[in-house]
Amino acid sequence: MLYFIEDTINGILMGSIYGLTAMGLTIIFGVLKVINFAHGSLLMVGMYVAYWTITLSGMHPYLALVVVIPVMFLFGYLLQDIVIKPIFKAEKEVREPITVIIVTTGIWYILDNLALLVFGPQYRTIENNPLRGKMFELGEMLISVPKFWGFVIAIITAGAVYYFFQYTRLGRAIRATSLDRDAASLAGINQYKIYNIAFGIGTAVSGIAAITLIPFYNTFPTVGVAFDIKGFIIVVLGGLGSIGGAIVGGIIVGLIESVGPQFMTATWTEAIVYGLFLLVLFVKPSGLFGEKNDW
Amino acid sequence: MTGNEILTPSDNPSGGSAGHSTVSGSSSGHQGFTPRKKIEVFSLLGVVLIAFGLPLIMTSPTYLHIVILIFFYAYLTSCWNMVGGFAGVLPLGHSVFIGIGAYTSTILSLQYGISPWLGMIIGGVLAMGTGVLIGLPTFKMRGAYFALATIAFAEGVRVMVENLNFLGPFNLNGPRGLQIPPVNFGFANFMFQGKEPYYYIILIMLIGVILLTWFISRSKLGYYLNAGGEEPEAAMALGVNVARAKLIAMAMSSFFTALAGTFYAQFSLFIHPKSIISLDLSFEIAFIALIGGRGSIAGPLLGALLLRPVSDFSRIYFGDVFPGLHLVIFGVVLILVMIYQPRGIQEPLTRVYNRLINRLTKEGQAKEVS
Amino acid sequence: MKILEVEKMVMRFGGLTAVDTLNLNIDKGEILGLIGPNGAGKSTAFNCIAGVHPPTEGTIKFNGENTNQQKPWDLCKKGLARTFQIVKPFASKSVLYNVTVGAFATTDKRADAEDKALAVLKTLNFEDKKELKSGSLTIADRKRLEIARALATEPKLLLLDEVMAGLRPGEVDEMVGIIQGLRDSGITIFVIEHIMRAIMALSDRIVVIQFGKKIAEGTPGEIASNENVIKAYLGEEYGTA
Repeated sequence: MLYFIEDTINGILMGSIYGLTAMGLTIIFGVLKVINFAHGSLLMVGMYVAYWTITLSGMHPYLALVVVIPVMFLFGYLLQDIVIKPIFKAEKEVREPITVIIVTTGIWYILDNLALLVFGPQYRTIENNPLRGKMFELGEMLISVPKFWGFVIAIITAGAVYYFFQYTRLGRAIRATSLDRDAASLAGINQYKIYNIAFGIGTAVSGIAAITLIPFYNTFPTVGVAFDIKGFIIVVLGGLGSIGGAIVGGIIVGLIESVGPQFMTATWTEAIVYGLFLLVLFVKPSGLFGEKNDW
Repeated sequence: MTGNEILTPSDNPSGGSAGHSTVSGSSSGHQGFTPRKKIEVFSLLGVVLIAFGLPLIMTSPTYLHIVILIFFYAYLTSCWNMVGGFAGVLPLGHSVFIGIGAYTSTILSLQYGISPWLGMIIGGVLAMGTGVLIGLPTFKMRGAYFALATIAFAEGVRVMVENLNFLGPFNLNGPRGLQIPPVNFGFANFMFQGKEPYYYIILIMLIGVILLTWFISRSKLGYYLNAGGEEPEAAMALGVNVARAKLIAMAMSSFFTALAGTFYAQFSLFIHPKSIISLDLSFEIAFIALIGGRGSIAGPLLGALLLRPVSDFSRIYFGDVFPGLHLVIFGVVLILVMIYQPRGIQEPLTRVYNRLINRLTKEGQAKEVS
Repeated sequence: MKILEVEKMVMRFGGLTAVDTLNLNIDKGEILGLIGPNGAGKSTAFNCIAGVHPPTEGTIKFNGENTNQQKPWDLCKKGLARTFQIVKPFASKSVLYNVTVGAFATTDKRADAEDKALAVLKTLNFEDKKELKSGSLTIADRKRLEIARALATEPKLLLLDEVMAGLRPGEVDEMVGIIQGLRDSGITIFVIEHIMRAIMALSDRIVVIQFGKKIAEGTPGEIASNENVIKAYLGEEYGTA
């Protein structure tokens, strides 16, 4: 029984981190109505940025947020501005540009393989990791410290992002653009700049997620792939465009992954996750908290 | 009827491109052999003859192997095109059908001694059923959701096959895969010692699929698929049952893709989930078709003919020093093509081809006059 | 038997009642006009009749057969064709290709379909443009293409949704002539239109709806002098006391 609770708690903690990794995806979708297939690669980039920042400067992993967030924001901003914007402009009429999906998949390929070329295939972990293997005791259960902090960071980030979009001027401008970009531009909002910013924010959030992973997860060129697919599943479960939904969806996946192996092999839990995903797609594609739109 | 359709069925005198044949002059099909058509038919026959004669000239098994794989990919992309091109959706999990075909024929031949040819057909039927089953709920979804669903389905199947040693009485052997012992050579057993027979088989399959897609593009189904892919509401109001047309396209695509799975199994004598039901393979097929130009017949073919050698050579020559370089190139080319030539490289190539033909026929006509 | 009978049709979207207890019918060979201020529910009514979505309540009978639940493609095969207010050409394809898609509704062979399509283009004086990419046509030509496509399906009843919108007066007159020609060839026509001149000239009878309800029905002359209609369009002050 105790193991069950311990697994559940770990599942929730890890799940919230999953949710954090998926949050960037949902932000980008919510605003640009684009499913960014390069999402996992952005996470990978964030992990390498974090890794090198920490390794070269020796700073505490969580402190590296100071570097990672602006770098990732800029990276996402430029990516949208240089690579994706031309397609948006070309496909102005189309409601859901399929070409963008293809382009983001191309970006995925490029980023992952560039990382392989530049950094090599080896798995990396930070040396002198102050959080390595740290656990704290909760009664008789052992809870992983970095996962706990990841949970905290995830909740704080979700709250901050939500606040940003609901209550700040820029956030509302972004939401307006997502609802109707032509109307928004008539109101004086530069829609393409908004898209750049939104993409930057989504990428920066992926950077935060990367930081939470660095203390206990290996960094390697294809690390993003697993999170890519998982990200889609989480985001569909929780509802595309919903911040809270991303966290909830992540926790669901985290719970399945941690509690599932009690009842079946780990790889069958993977199949269950895929099955659940397909089920949601068929039955309620807008997810738990998403808006019902004609997708 | 112009001779336009065979190699470049996507031209239109006012400069656009599409996936159908144009009609010049009064009515269709009643024109006979124009000089242009003569050139096209002859050059086409010439190409086919060269293709059949190639193994006589190119005797190195390594190069033959490469060409066989090129044809293999061209076949796969042409099959993908039936759904991804004509039906206007983005399927990104097609390798699952390759897997179904490969595993079906292999298990049937290893465990029950059934001829791989028969296993091929059975695999195709199984894949067809699976394709329809996938299509039924997913075709209602728009672009990205559909793509995600196909990925999820393919990955789900791969995970299952990787983790099952037995599916009922059938031995899947999990991640270790299945090996086919090279014994019992002969046509009936789909087992040959040299590479030449495999070459001819895949060549014939390729020609068959190209002919099939050509016929479809000129048929009611082709028109309906194009219409449904482009403007589903308008198409429905014109009598097109868009969902059913897409399902038919999916059924055909999945059936023929599975046949390639059997071919691959018999050719390489080893199949395992990571290589044959892989996301990389699904993506590669889609990318080649997209770069070449989906929706046209020449597009996937051109894509495979151009891109596969690039991929192979960069892997052979740079694989050690620059691993993964060919994929970077792929990605870059893909993005550039999507930005500048969303209809694929077949569009500018078609224009060049047309100009060439026009100049030739003018010269030909001038010669005839004088 | 009327070719189209709509009885007590209601269409609700969530809390919004777009069409409220609509009754109308059309005789074979008639041209019935449907007018009303913007947002009155005209296109919604069309969509119900054309099978895009079934009505919330009421019955629709086409040639005596209840068609509430039928899909657009089946209705098309039965002889009910429609055009769209916002034109939807298959933009990457030629004019001939577009019309051929429609022609396939009555045949399975491509040669036949193309011949039929060409014939349709001829009757609409559109033949010279058959090779043009439909995405590059002018708006007037696109409207003509919409009609040509629908015509190729050999309809008995043709629903035209604001085919005049965006046309210049000369083009409007031309379109009126075309539509009258269609009626002469035996097709029943149901027209939604905003351009008064056109609909008055075309229609045998007119139905007026406002806020989803029918407020008047009659000949063009009767409608023009109908107090409710004037009020609906011009406001309360203009209705004669």
